[in-house]
Amino acid sequence: MSEQIREQVSAFLDGELPSSETELLLKRLTRDSELRESFGRYALIGEALRGSGAVRLSKGFADRVNAAIDGEKAPLVAGLQSAQPRWWKPFAGAAVVAGVAAVAVLALQQRAVSPAAHPMVASNSAQSPTVAPIATPVAVKSNVVRVAANSPVPGSREPVSYVTPPPSRLTNYVFAHSKYSTGLGRRGVLTDLLIEDDEVPAGSRAVPPVPARTP
Amino acid sequence: MSRVISRRLLAPCAVMGALLSSTVLAADDAREWLEKMNQALTGKNYDGTFMHLSEGRVETMRIVHRVRGGRVTERLQALDGSGREFVRNNDELTCYLPDQHTVLVEPRQDRGPFLGSLPKFGAEVNDFYRIESLPASRVLNRPVKVIAVNPKDQFRFGYRLWLDEKSAMPLKTQLCDASGAIIEQILFARLEMPDNIADSELTPAVRTDGMRWIRQGPPHGSSPTPLSAFRAMELPPGFRLTISGAQTLGGASVPASHLVYSDGLATVSVFVEAQRDSGPDTAPPADPPMQGLARVGSGYAFSTVIQGHQVTAVGEVPAQTVEFIAHAVKLSADHSSAPQH
Repeated sequence: MSEQIREQVSAFLDGELPSSETELLLKRLTRDSELRESFGRYALIGEALRGSGAVRLSKGFADRVNAAIDGEKAPLVAGLQSAQPRWWKPFAGAAVVAGVAAVAVLALQQRAVSPAAHPMVASNSAQSPTVAPIATPVAVKSNVVRVAANSPVPGSREPVSYVTPPPSRLTNYVFAHSKYSTGLGRRGVLTDLLIEDDEVPAGSRAVPPVPARTP
Repeated sequence: MSRVISRRLLAPCAVMGALLSSTVLAADDAREWLEKMNQALTGKNYDGTFMHLSEGRVETMRIVHRVRGGRVTERLQALDGSGREFVRNNDELTCYLPDQHTVLVEPRQDRGPFLGSLPKFGAEVNDFYRIESLPASRVLNRPVKVIAVNPKDQFRFGYRLWLDEKSAMPLKTQLCDASGAIIEQILFARLEMPDNIADSELTPAVRTDGMRWIRQGPPHGSSPTPLSAFRAMELPPGFRLTISGAQTLGGASVPASHLVYSDGLATVSVFVEAQRDSGPDTAPPADPPMQGLARVGSGYAFSTVIQGHQVTAVGEVPAQTVEFIAHAVKLSADHSSAPQH
């Protein structure tokens, strides 16, 4: 990310980027997935430094932040020594490093109570639900975090075969739920479905194509 | 002497009274702004681009909302990645999934906007959420009112809203847990509120040639089925059953019971499905039952098997809430001897 774009991102997050430059930034964001990732990272770090609230993160994201910290340390020092770009201006170097470190620590703490502690698995026995063994995240690409486990049940000699639950079933539930979801929750549900990246609902009931209604 | 004591008592009482009244006034002011926001979100035309941030991921989306002659049409479009779009009119919601060559169609019953307004704050909501005004700020170079809706316990999420002082539109929204940790954010980068919006702005850009159309089954609200005998026998504080019906979900041949529980702000859906038997050897194998917790966007889903039925609770609430409700689902005593299939 260039210094200019970094300053644009910072100004935008502060609510101070002129609208003409905001449009340019938006265009870049829709085209550049790498910039989107950097933007998300800076937004998180910015919120942590502003003290507007801790940020809940996954372990995978914590790893990416840690990797990013390594990558950003050099420009940070250089920036402070020279012109001090806008992004870093309000913060002393030590404070920035401490703040970013706090984000990473928080991420690890949050992970301890994350869904991975209670993975969703498919059991072969309905009558005697199997205790989930140690889980291994297999996909965090979509907003549905799928967790699979292939280790045997503790105390059991027989290896148990687990199946990753089909996210299509969850998508069906979420879609049906959105109809009754109240308030801002509905927005959360629908925007999440828009960015979800899972498989086609298995065996869904197909109907003949019908033309989309025009208002 | 007594006059001195009275003065000593009066001064702190007066200060406390003033603080209390200012707190009440601030809360009333915040409620008024939330009501203004509701009116803007549901009754105004707007066309904006926003960023959806969650766990360091950012997605840019466009929202177009038009009210014309009492008819509402909305379009929500992902500008990067999947290219997915939602278009809603008064009757149905259509979800275009070009990455899956699929179009989902769902009949609509609610009238709320995609961006989501907040319900009116009645006494029951006040028991479980605390609303307050925070120091004013700026978003998109505009002065904004900042309102916090804080949950009073761990069973629900809260919101922080940055409302445009001119239009009351939420230029920035954060979903937070009970400790104040941010779960996701919506941040507008562009927002226009034109008097007129052309039909072309509400037409999906997705080409539907060759795509598969799927309709979620209509609700079967008035026809009781044996599944309707399932209920959550215990609920987190403030939650109550608001809707009970049945719905045919994609991939299922029989309807699932759909129970909706709400505290007035947060909503949890519970789906109860009879477990499908494998049937004869020629039949496709039944889906294995699901067990456990999954993250679903900003909320959670929890599945378990109870009395031979797949029970799944889904909602924009903390994990413990869906888990609590799913585990509490039981066949009511009156129907425990009734056949379930």
